[in-house]
Amino acid sequence: MVLRLYFIILCFSVTSCSEEIQTLKIKGSDTEVNLVTELAESFHKSNKTSYLSISGGGSGLGIASLLNGQADIANSSRELNVEESELFRKRGIELDTFVFAEDAIAFIVSPLLLLDSISTVDLAGILDGSTNNWKKLTGNEIKINIYGRQSNSGTYDFVKDKLNIQFSTHAKEMNGNAQIIEAIKSDPSGIGYVGAGYVMNSRNGQIQNIKVLHIRPDKSNKAYSPLDSNAVFNHEYYFRRHLFQFIRKSSASAAAPFIAFEKSPAGARIIRKSGYYPVKIF
Amino acid sequence: MSTRFRENTDLFFSKLFKVTGLLTLVLLGGIFFMLLYNSVSFFLDVAPLDFFTGNQWNPGSRGDYGILPLIASTILVTLGSMLIAVPLGIFTAAYMSEFANRRVQRILKPVIEMLAAIPSVAIGFLGIVIIGPGIAKLFGMQNGLNALNGSILLAIMSLPTIVTVAEDAIHAVPMSYKEASLGLGADKWETLFRVTLPAALPGLIAAVMLGLGRAIGETMTVLMATGNSLAFPDGYLDSIRTITATIAIEMGEVPYQTTHYYALFAIATVLFIITLAVNLIGEAIAKYYRKFGA
Repeated sequence: MVLRLYFIILCFSVTSCSEEIQTLKIKGSDTEVNLVTELAESFHKSNKTSYLSISGGGSGLGIASLLNGQADIANSSRELNVEESELFRKRGIELDTFVFAEDAIAFIVSPLLLLDSISTVDLAGILDGSTNNWKKLTGNEIKINIYGRQSNSGTYDFVKDKLNIQFSTHAKEMNGNAQIIEAIKSDPSGIGYVGAGYVMNSRNGQIQNIKVLHIRPDKSNKAYSPLDSNAVFNHEYYFRRHLFQFIRKSSASAAAPFIAFEKSPAGARIIRKSGYYPVKIF
Repeated sequence: MSTRFRENTDLFFSKLFKVTGLLTLVLLGGIFFMLLYNSVSFFLDVAPLDFFTGNQWNPGSRGDYGILPLIASTILVTLGSMLIAVPLGIFTAAYMSEFANRRVQRILKPVIEMLAAIPSVAIGFLGIVIIGPGIAKLFGMQNGLNALNGSILLAIMSLPTIVTVAEDAIHAVPMSYKEASLGLGADKWETLFRVTLPAALPGLIAAVMLGLGRAIGETMTVLMATGNSLAFPDGYLDSIRTITATIAIEMGEVPYQTTHYYALFAIATVLFIITLAVNLIGEAIAKYYRKFGA
């Protein structure tokens, strides 16, 4: 919400200014904003005449912007909900849906918490507030602090829908992934969720002072880590999701070259390098 | 010719200033009308009774639009900030106008006024990295993003307003009052508390009300530093979500012309009425005391 990244590629080649300049406004998911910015940077190297502006603010904001005519493409880490698709239909706005990558949601706790893996059932109990104490899971009588995202976040909706719960009203709503990680670092009783890309540092190792929980799906006894790229790629990790781009039909031709670049092997390499997963082709 | 010219200029400028004067009125009226219009649209969808008595704010699929936890949060955090800022501000003002020597005064006044120039995001940042962790350590808690954190930050933000206005009020107390008091054998301390401060009371109340207005409407700081949890607050060590933070968080995600969109206007109207009431009450109290003080 506060963290809003603006990235603007300006048309700087004087000779090309006589050609038509294509302006593409991309808004939405904070999870995707860094990745799409990197894709756009590479894309621009071969397409000097295109002008892209990318900003974050949350999936909900991106979709609302698309609906209110303030964006051409909405980045979203969740699908449209029923009310939203209804509104798009009512206003006669047609959309192309494009899944350009996948990622995993990591549940993080302090390394001091005596817990390495958790089942989805226990997780649902914690997040909806019916389990508010660690006693059942670790044996220690400590109150659980939940650090989540704000309701305009796609991650928030994804976790809520995947577990089919309503979040506890005692959950703190933080401004972004980074603030959740900072809070968990200093809170041995906290649990939070962030995009898996955020728990990796630039040297591709896991960042210090947090622990990533292994998730055990219901009726299974094998727990998987979101950092295990094979488990995520093979859809064994439970909290794996599609990253969407919703493209307004009227801007489809303008957006086509950029979308094509995202699908290309060069695009897939960037997606992989940023800690996300290219879409698995069956 | 010259007289004619002067008359025309006079007429022109009187008309011009009339327009600028009326513009403020039009702006205020327009904003109020917009808030009211959208609020009415909201109350066509949701019963006012549910809105004012529901203790759960959870728009979206569930559609709970209870404003009570938001109002409770706003009141909690502003009341806390006033408990800190009022004594601090008034004593600072009293010190500055009654006890400090010229040199200290010349340094202190601009420094306090400079405090008002710090952007609210910077204060919020202070809350996240310094005051929040400090509170957590002090109370042996895990996390300091709570109402107390917000109160301290809002106190810092409203302090310059309170000090400046209060200082002017204390300064305006006629010298003869103090001289009479000192002449009757009272010391400086007694003079301040029994004579000067009571005489300056209308101004002091105005100072508090202006500071309160600043604190209620502040958004960015509370959004960053209070944890934004939707549960009904239990006390100062609980995370809260104020009216302003709710509007800021949710305005970006709502599709226009939906119940949720109208709901944000409805809570903005409530906020507007609260600030209006604070100002009117402040004015009324100030007027009441002025009548008896004179």
